[in-house]
Amino acid sequence: MDSWVRFNAQSQAKERIFRAAQYACTLLGYTLQKGGAGVEVLKMVKQLEAHMSLTRKLMRLGNSAEAVEAAKRAVHLSDSVLRLCLTVAHLNRAMYFACDNVLWAGKSGLLPQLDQDKWSQRSFRYYLFALILNLTRDAYEIRLLMEREARSSHSGSKATWTSSPSPSPLENNELSHSSLPSLPPTVLALLSQRLSRQFRVLVTVLRSNPPLLLDLLKNSCDVFIPLDRLGIYPTGQGFVGACGLVSSLLSILTIVHPWLKLKP
Amino acid sequence: MESFINFTNQSQGRDRIFRTTQYACVLSKYLLRNSSARKELVVKLQSLESNMSSGRKLLRLGNTVNSIDAAKRTLQLSDPVLRLCLTMANLSRALYFTCDSLLWATNVGLVHGVDKERWSLNASRCYFLSLVMSLTRDVYTITQLMVQRTRDRQFQHKIDQHLNESPDVATVILPQLDAFVYLLIESLKSHPSVALDTLKNICDLFIPLDRLGLYRSNPGVVGFCGLISSILGIVSVLQPGLKIKP
Repeated sequence: MDSWVRFNAQSQAKERIFRAAQYACTLLGYTLQKGGAGVEVLKMVKQLEAHMSLTRKLMRLGNSAEAVEAAKRAVHLSDSVLRLCLTVAHLNRAMYFACDNVLWAGKSGLLPQLDQDKWSQRSFRYYLFALILNLTRDAYEIRLLMEREARSSHSGSKATWTSSPSPSPLENNELSHSSLPSLPPTVLALLSQRLSRQFRVLVTVLRSNPPLLLDLLKNSCDVFIPLDRLGIYPTGQGFVGACGLVSSLLSILTIVHPWLKLKP
Repeated sequence: MESFINFTNQSQGRDRIFRTTQYACVLSKYLLRNSSARKELVVKLQSLESNMSSGRKLLRLGNTVNSIDAAKRTLQLSDPVLRLCLTMANLSRALYFTCDSLLWATNVGLVHGVDKERWSLNASRCYFLSLVMSLTRDVYTITQLMVQRTRDRQFQHKIDQHLNESPDVATVILPQLDAFVYLLIESLKSHPSVALDTLKNICDLFIPLDRLGLYRSNPGVVGFCGLISSILGIVSVLQPGLKIKP
């Protein structure tokens, strides 16, 4: 009960729940349509989704300021790549929220002559840029951690070689014995061996860094939403709904367990 | 900027801003009702008000649990009058939020066959009860403060001084009433949180009074009172010292 009260008090947490409910409605609408449900039910689901969307826009009315403040903080980061990615991502988010506010004014009747499609496209473009920058940041962090992991595992194997000199000639003989009957390795075999090694390092890195894994999954799911809405890679309502729902649930997880949030 | 972000991050802060906007729209609509040149603006104000109202209903969906939790906490207060008043206020607020959630579900189309008018009146009744309980608590707190003040020797000197130095007709005829009013004002000045809460509850009271038909005013009065109480609510969130405890 106490944790629910604390959770509820955070505005962001409520917004995430409504986002999850909105994309659940999208997914539900798609499945009901495929299943041949009645027009009334479909209309109700669509109405509910539109109501959640408009209320979320209302809740987001002050978020431009927050995004600009986050960008100001990101300018002081020490790592140059992180500094660039995060600052520009936050600025793009601020522009997305500004376009979103204009859309709200249009949808709520304050600016009836607003070209809603144009502003909707604009807001999704800024959102896409912000997501691409977040994914770049995730890729950069993964690359750094993979290099570190590769270096530490390489130095670890070197240490075992030097610390135990006596069994090494035996191992060498065994290796040479086992390699004699095999065919000479082709380029493809070498490549696949390298790829599998990289993949193993990637899996190790991601498993030991749950915040990074969560952020990567979240951004990967989120990226399909603007890609579909802008028409760059149309996937359909069902897939968009599922992706939105998964990313909302993952972000609720990061709110409930703050240690799972990627820093900075 | 920092304080604005901290304020809006709190769910309650945002709700107060939306409420202020909602009642400002009600008041503006009433003031512009006879102006034919501003008909378009009135339509925009109407749509903004209904937008805010429906948005706030959705945002309030979890508040029943909050109120029940608050009632559990107030059940453990030591003072019996405070315990009764606050627990009753929180429980009736929980009922109000339940009626409100049902109305939201009906508006959105999730449930059918619900008598909207009846449940809207029920919600107003629960809200009215919670306000009456809150006002009872305010009156009790003020009475306690005044009694405390009369026992204070220093204050007794002050009050004698005040009665002697202003020889109006009223003070000669009704010295006790004048002393009472002076005592009341002094108590409220020394405890601004109680004064703020009392004023907020009195302003809020006009809304269900009008809705339930107990004291029919007009939408202008309702809008004005709602606006004042929302602004006072924002002040109490911005300055935590001005929030009444418990």
